[in-house]
Amino acid sequence: MLLQTRDLTKLYGTYRALDALTLAVEPGEVLGLLGPNGSGKTTALRLMLGFLQPSAGTATIAGHDCWRDGVAARQHVAYLPGELRLYETMTGRQLVRFLSELRGQPVREDLEALARRFDIDVDRPLTTLSSGMKRKVALLQVLAPRAPLVVMDEPTNALDPTMREALLEQVRLARGRGQAVLFSSHVLAEVEAVCDRVAILNRGRLVHLGRLTDLAEGRLVVARFDRQPEAVPALAGLTVLPGEPHALKLEYTGPLPALLDWLSRQPLRELRMEPLGLRGVYARHHGAEE
Amino acid sequence: MTWILVRKLLWDLRWPLLVIALLLLAFQVLWAVITARVLGELAPFFTRLASFGGFTRQDIEAQVFSGPGQLVKSIIGGDAIQLDHAMDMLSIGYVHPLVQLILCIWAIGRAAGAISGEVERGTMELLLAQPLARYRVVMAHLLVDCVAIPALCLALLVGNFVGASVITPIRIQEPAGFKTPDALYSVEVGLFKFEMKGAIVLPPEDEEYIAERLAVRPWEFAPGLALVAGLLFAISGATMWLSAAGRSRMRVLGVAILVALVMFLVNVLGQMWDVMAPLRPLTLFYYYNAQAAVLGQGWTVPVAGLPVPTLPVLVGVGVLGYAMAFRIFTRRDLPAPL
Repeated sequence: MLLQTRDLTKLYGTYRALDALTLAVEPGEVLGLLGPNGSGKTTALRLMLGFLQPSAGTATIAGHDCWRDGVAARQHVAYLPGELRLYETMTGRQLVRFLSELRGQPVREDLEALARRFDIDVDRPLTTLSSGMKRKVALLQVLAPRAPLVVMDEPTNALDPTMREALLEQVRLARGRGQAVLFSSHVLAEVEAVCDRVAILNRGRLVHLGRLTDLAEGRLVVARFDRQPEAVPALAGLTVLPGEPHALKLEYTGPLPALLDWLSRQPLRELRMEPLGLRGVYARHHGAEE
Repeated sequence: MTWILVRKLLWDLRWPLLVIALLLLAFQVLWAVITARVLGELAPFFTRLASFGGFTRQDIEAQVFSGPGQLVKSIIGGDAIQLDHAMDMLSIGYVHPLVQLILCIWAIGRAAGAISGEVERGTMELLLAQPLARYRVVMAHLLVDCVAIPALCLALLVGNFVGASVITPIRIQEPAGFKTPDALYSVEVGLFKFEMKGAIVLPPEDEEYIAERLAVRPWEFAPGLALVAGLLFAISGATMWLSAAGRSRMRVLGVAILVALVMFLVNVLGQMWDVMAPLRPLTLFYYYNAQAAVLGQGWTVPVAGLPVPTLPVLVGVGVLGYAMAFRIFTRRDLPAPL
């Protein structure tokens, strides 16, 4: 595993900003980290980068503890923060060169090509750039080192649709090169577009971790009955969600005939079935869509 | 890796450093000009003026520096200096409140923003997202001090040399407009007008003594620079300690300025008010006796009756400040930018 967290916890007094997060990211994988504000996404990322000391549990990158051996861990990471702050007196080129020198790496030869791809004038002082342009420069410094793990905290903030698409393309290319990407976002469509797996956080706890392909195969089933149905059978991949009386709300990823067979023997009044998708799972945990 | 950071920090600081260095240099030159005017023109004038009333220059000094004037005397060096000696007068240029203010502005202003400022702006995240150990950030600031402080000291020394070259040799100009004794005449000094008659006869000064008291030896300022460097390092280290623990530059700046101001006032008031005198050794400025170092009056100050070396105390405070900054910054959480 490139990134591994085990029971990673961060307390602020009695408040649990992150509660026993356990997850792993493999090379060549894009993991989406979803959750509303205050769900613990950024805290999780800051723990992984060694900005915060865990209250309990561990986070390791390439086997290096993110807090105790942070320098070795961050050799393998490039980070794009959500709240973007750069050295405004530098030009984009100076910033990339400065950060490359700090990493002990030469500036990549294809920097110019990447800058052209993002339509950035790397010789302009950052203070004269718009927030969108600054974010592009920040993306450049994240993509330039080709670190094994790229951590992006809401990377498409302030990007126009064209650039957002270009960024998502870069994420796919990074995955193709064997880089892992941890992609934190509010935007479900982006996560669905590039992520292999998704982790959903709610109030500091990991409430869902799964592959997006599984979600695509799953279905959300809403059934209403004339009277109380029999007990729901124990089918593999079946999850009963809280619902109204004389009604059932189910998530189901198993073969349909088994479920339909049971439903056909119940006093069924109405049946609605739709692809489960990321929206369904997210709404289940957060009560509303993005 | 640390040098990359040092290079960047020095580049960012180049203009403030240049401005502060030029201010220090210019003040030393200005003070030299003031010294030449005081010794060459004003002192003879007041000596002659005093003689008409049957007083000596020392009588005037005693009158001027009594009561509230004692505050001024304390600030410029107290009883340890002779105001008719050029080197004594010039040494005031190292302890003048304006110079101490400039030194504090540099040391506090730079160190306050060094860590808390970067945390506040969010650029610390950018740095620490790289494989950069936190101790290197503090180390880089320590190395910046190692470059900037000698540069400021050099500026002071250059100011001393330029000032010396401008004013030497200092010539005593006999005041014009005085009439012969026994005649009644009026003398104007600024807004004041005196009616004078007669004079005491002053013995002529020995030529050798005049040459000695008006001599300017700029190299003798070099020992004082060690204490200037010590004060800068002490204030910088102590402020770095606060900065390493803070997340708002303005808050750190406010606390550091308040502490420095209180220390300065306690040190000055302690020279005039016996009740506060025991508190003086608790202030950094008590150990900043650059004037004594310049004038060859020693490198110690009394604390509880014992001579305490000044430079090691200042350097020790700086080292302690940086050590605490290392300890705090390598253990603290890095909060999200404000």
